[in-house]
Amino acid sequence: MGTYILRRLIQTVIVIGLISYMCFYLMTLMPGDPVELMIQSNPRITSEDIARLRELYNLDQPAYVRYFSWAKDIMSGDLGYSRTYRVPVQELMGPRLKNTFVLSFMALLTSLLIALPFGIYSALKPGSRVDYFVNFFSFGGISIPSFWLGLMLIIIFSVQLGVLPAGGTETIGVDHESTWSFFKDRALYLILPVISLSVQQIGVFVRYIRSSMMEAMRNDFIRTAKAKGLSRFVVVWKHGFRNALIPLITIFALSFSGLFSGAILTETVFAYQGVGKLVYDSIMSNDYNVAMISFIISVSMVLLMNLLADILYGFADPRISYT
Amino acid sequence: MDLQTQESLTHNNQKDPNMASTHSSLNESERKALEQALPMWKIVFNQFKEHKMAFYSAFVILFFLIVALSAELITKVTGLDPNRQNVGARYLAPMSRAQATDDIKESAVEVYINQHPDEAKKLATELKAQNILIVDTDTENENQDALYDLIMKPDEEVKATLAKLQNVNYSNYEAILKTFSTYHVFGTDEVGRDVLIRLVYGARVSIGVGIMVALSSALIGLLIGGIAGFYGGKIDMALMRVTDALLSLPTIPILIVFSAVDLSKLPAIKQMMNPSYESIIKMFVIMCLFSWMTVARLVRGSILSLREREFVLAAKTLGATDATIILRHMFPNVIAPMLVAITLGVGSSIIYESALSFLGLGIMPPTPSWGNMLNNAQEVIYKNVWLTVLPGLMIFITTVSFNFVGDGLQDAVDPKSIKR
Repeated sequence: MGTYILRRLIQTVIVIGLISYMCFYLMTLMPGDPVELMIQSNPRITSEDIARLRELYNLDQPAYVRYFSWAKDIMSGDLGYSRTYRVPVQELMGPRLKNTFVLSFMALLTSLLIALPFGIYSALKPGSRVDYFVNFFSFGGISIPSFWLGLMLIIIFSVQLGVLPAGGTETIGVDHESTWSFFKDRALYLILPVISLSVQQIGVFVRYIRSSMMEAMRNDFIRTAKAKGLSRFVVVWKHGFRNALIPLITIFALSFSGLFSGAILTETVFAYQGVGKLVYDSIMSNDYNVAMISFIISVSMVLLMNLLADILYGFADPRISYT
Repeated sequence: MDLQTQESLTHNNQKDPNMASTHSSLNESERKALEQALPMWKIVFNQFKEHKMAFYSAFVILFFLIVALSAELITKVTGLDPNRQNVGARYLAPMSRAQATDDIKESAVEVYINQHPDEAKKLATELKAQNILIVDTDTENENQDALYDLIMKPDEEVKATLAKLQNVNYSNYEAILKTFSTYHVFGTDEVGRDVLIRLVYGARVSIGVGIMVALSSALIGLLIGGIAGFYGGKIDMALMRVTDALLSLPTIPILIVFSAVDLSKLPAIKQMMNPSYESIIKMFVIMCLFSWMTVARLVRGSILSLREREFVLAAKTLGATDATIILRHMFPNVIAPMLVAITLGVGSSIIYESALSFLGLGIMPPTPSWGNMLNNAQEVIYKNVWLTVLPGLMIFITTVSFNFVGDGLQDAVDPKSIKR
């Protein structure tokens, strides 16, 4: 087990390294570079200045040289400076990460709370009317573009009804006298993004929960438990559900990847100040340092969650052996 | 066995003598029809029809495909052009009529004069002679100002004026009147383009990209999965490492980084590309790069199990080459699950394409795609909600249909679920 985790960790680090280099190279291929922006903003700039600036930013060096000097800075804890926000990247990332984490966690929790009862019910009563509707809606959830769902929610709840804010993270310029009013304010801004992020996850979860639960209930030991005369509650929850949970743990951990991907779109639609929006904004505004760090953080988070999923799987199911 | 199944079994047993009697009373042709083995596709098709949603969804897809393919025909019949702007009629509500602005009218008259110089001259002199329009004398332009002045009047007045003239053969001039008033079933967008015709052309781009990406990435997956599964060992390990690594990456951030690349910084690629299709081809390549992995794993799994089967051993003993074994003996066995993967892939490709185009990184305007029609939806929702509702609805309906068809196919090709 220990060597397995170690091997996977090394693999993950290698993948992150490769991805970061690829991303760095792709960034050099994006339109505009920092010096070009300065040329645009200052018409009186001379060609010597341009050459000096290019040298200052190492832009005259090939991409791999710049990558290694950048990586060395990162290793020593210097994440660089954001050109757009005029603050060190460290200061920028903290609150953004927290916001995205809150959003993803709330979405995961919501989708689990909704998907579990429906998935289990439709697995226990396959072919029933509830099962039919659950199936239908899970298909809808999987197929709906989350950003469009977000826009529809804005139209209904913000434009038409005017009950919820259309975007943002919190009400700007309000002093909260108590923590309670602060939480209430944040929660109000979270409702729509969480819904739009959860719907797709609910669709995915319901299908997995249903099939996994049906698989578990087909086992011989379920029949034995029934024959023993155990109550339905014990059969379903203690024998059925606990076994159904094993493959589900992986799915839940892997869903983090989907949540993180989806968060970029959701955060952009709702102007929610999270890492996803930061990735998008910094790429669009050529803020390389921020773009690189936020991108690598999102990729690393997903890869680490995948690793965690595999490890959890081993703990949950003693039949799996790691060699 | 539970009680229920036992019950149904006894039920069947009771029914059996009945069935036997009906069988014996069959005539020759009916018996033949019953005994004849059904071809595989027919079994699959019959099974597919049982999945009601999938069956209806197939028709929805067919409808969208027909509409997308006949986009030019629709333009010809309705006279709507996806790129024709009309600043005077922005954000029109559905079911409304728009009038062309003066500059559009002027340029239409100019085209008319160029195309039918004789008729224009005759009409202009007659208008002048009848003194219907008081125009400053402009002999060098042969009184053409009259034509421009006349067209600016309301439609009814123009028609009445033309009717008063002795020479009635000014049908070409009257015909341009018809193009000025346009009817917009779904309203117009922020520069006054018709939404319906843009949706039609958008269907072509969005579904086209979706299908092409699904097919091509399935081919890549087939190749990589086939090689990995057939040769095994180190090749398998290396290929599957790459597959797993790519599979574990978050899709949208990666796609965003790749599609933000400016191709003009890669001169070698730039020369090969036609600039008007550049964004579509770029989108296609990027999405193919990151969507072949599921098919590769699926194919590898099937090939691994097929490798140990007797018919492969037989082919090998008969001296078949590797290529023959892979292409002739193994691929036919993986086509069915691949078909399912392709169908489901179309749905997700359409969603990814629309998400990227929505962010302004995918298909570039003016080429309409369902995604880039939502491009500045956040501002537009306060002006005309239909601009946001309709393209997304199209994406949703198409994706849901492809997913249902994929699900139906999955049931249909699964040998365990086949009823005969």
